[in-house]
Amino acid sequence: MLKKRLIFTLLYDSGYFMLSRNFRLQRVGTLDWLQHHYNFARIAFFIDELIVLDVSRNQRNPDVFCDTLKALTAGCFVPIAAGGGIRSIEDAHRLLRSGADKIVVNTPLFETPDLIARLAEEFGQQCVVGSVDVKRDSDFLYHAYIANGTQKIDRNITQAISWIDEGHVGELYVNSMDRDGTGQGYDFDILDRLPGIHSIPVILAGGAGNGTHLLAGLDDVRVDAVATAHLFNFLGNGLQKAREFIMEQQAKHLASWPSVQDVIM
Amino acid sequence: MATLVYRVLNVSSRVVVIDYGMGNIWSVTSAIKFLGEDCLVTNDPHIIQKADKLILPGVGSFRRAMHTLEDKKLIDPLLEAVKVRKRNILGICLGFQMMATSGTEDGFSYGLGLIAGSVERFTQDELKGLKSPHIGFNQVVIPDGSGFFAGFMDQVADFYFVHSYRLLPHTLNGQIALCKHGINFVEAYRNENIFGTQFHPEKSQTQGLRLLRNFLAS
Repeated sequence: MLKKRLIFTLLYDSGYFMLSRNFRLQRVGTLDWLQHHYNFARIAFFIDELIVLDVSRNQRNPDVFCDTLKALTAGCFVPIAAGGGIRSIEDAHRLLRSGADKIVVNTPLFETPDLIARLAEEFGQQCVVGSVDVKRDSDFLYHAYIANGTQKIDRNITQAISWIDEGHVGELYVNSMDRDGTGQGYDFDILDRLPGIHSIPVILAGGAGNGTHLLAGLDDVRVDAVATAHLFNFLGNGLQKAREFIMEQQAKHLASWPSVQDVIM
Repeated sequence: MATLVYRVLNVSSRVVVIDYGMGNIWSVTSAIKFLGEDCLVTNDPHIIQKADKLILPGVGSFRRAMHTLEDKKLIDPLLEAVKVRKRNILGICLGFQMMATSGTEDGFSYGLGLIAGSVERFTQDELKGLKSPHIGFNQVVIPDGSGFFAGFMDQVADFYFVHSYRLLPHTLNGQIALCKHGINFVEAYRNENIFGTQFHPEKSQTQGLRLLRNFLAS
């Protein structure tokens, strides 16, 4: 049986890894901090997938981001998706040559659908993760946002993501801007508003603060993977503990593997 | 290309990772290096022809990947190494699929012809309501914990998959492990010097590292 996934999302802005709350960013540490103080290499053995997003608010520097991605992924033997600022086939190529297995796209889904089609043609549909940032506005309706959450797509969410049916996107990453970084748990109502999600895998993001939240996400039949980008809620051995908790509660959800010492020694 | 590390050639056992521009080269080489082996990333036909061990990775569409191999004139040297010099080759994901006689992704095209079979998309009937692409860790059944699967004590192990097409071999030869996604399909293959996995060992945590080590030791 296909297992569900526990995904760790890292947000990167101009040389720093960030904590995001409702899409407002706060600097946490550099690559060096992540590797030496966060012990990322060890943590990487307790997740099913890694997503690294360049959410730089100012001018992006793809060369530096790719170098960071390489350094980060060198000892990380899980699938890695990367994105942020992909505007051409070459941008995607560069990420795929720097340790990424999949690419994450957001703004081009709405602004340049032809690029999405070409990415799928070039790398295969399974390589393209469509990311949708969703916010419930004052009219109580959900809307999709692009450009790091700054620009609202003025159509209802169902119409706005109709590109799912075109078959160019292999997975959907749904992030709640309202819950982002709050630690209040996932927004499951979003899933009711999204058509077509029965056809491709869905990654739910935004709001997980503890193992119980992650488990609640995995328990939902519409969800194939849960993601957290909260560097502090899962500090130290937090992700390992959360994984162990999920395995105790519902072992069927997640994959298991021997410890690295058992295999390498 | 400038980002790749080209290693010195005079290593005793030369593991050559074929770089035709469509593989997740970085992930594959970092797993090999983590296991303490050296490897050479190249698209040089002469080096491929003389390799001791070959790895053919692959992310992308079948048709485009075959065209790229052809454009770079890598097909003949690869077949020379595998069919004439009998060097071990490991195909990963699309690299495994490309070993088939033919594929249907993006229209019909010929594959490398190392495994008699075709590559076809999961059909809706086969999926029985399951999602495609087949993405994530899935449990595979390992009947024999030796050879390619040496060290695998349990009858099952989780490996990472990401694909919507799969290889359908014409015969049972070499089908050493199966996985189920709606229907059973071949997830690992070994026939003499030809090794293949539909899953990504370089992305399957410690189980994948163990399998790669077995290939490197083969």
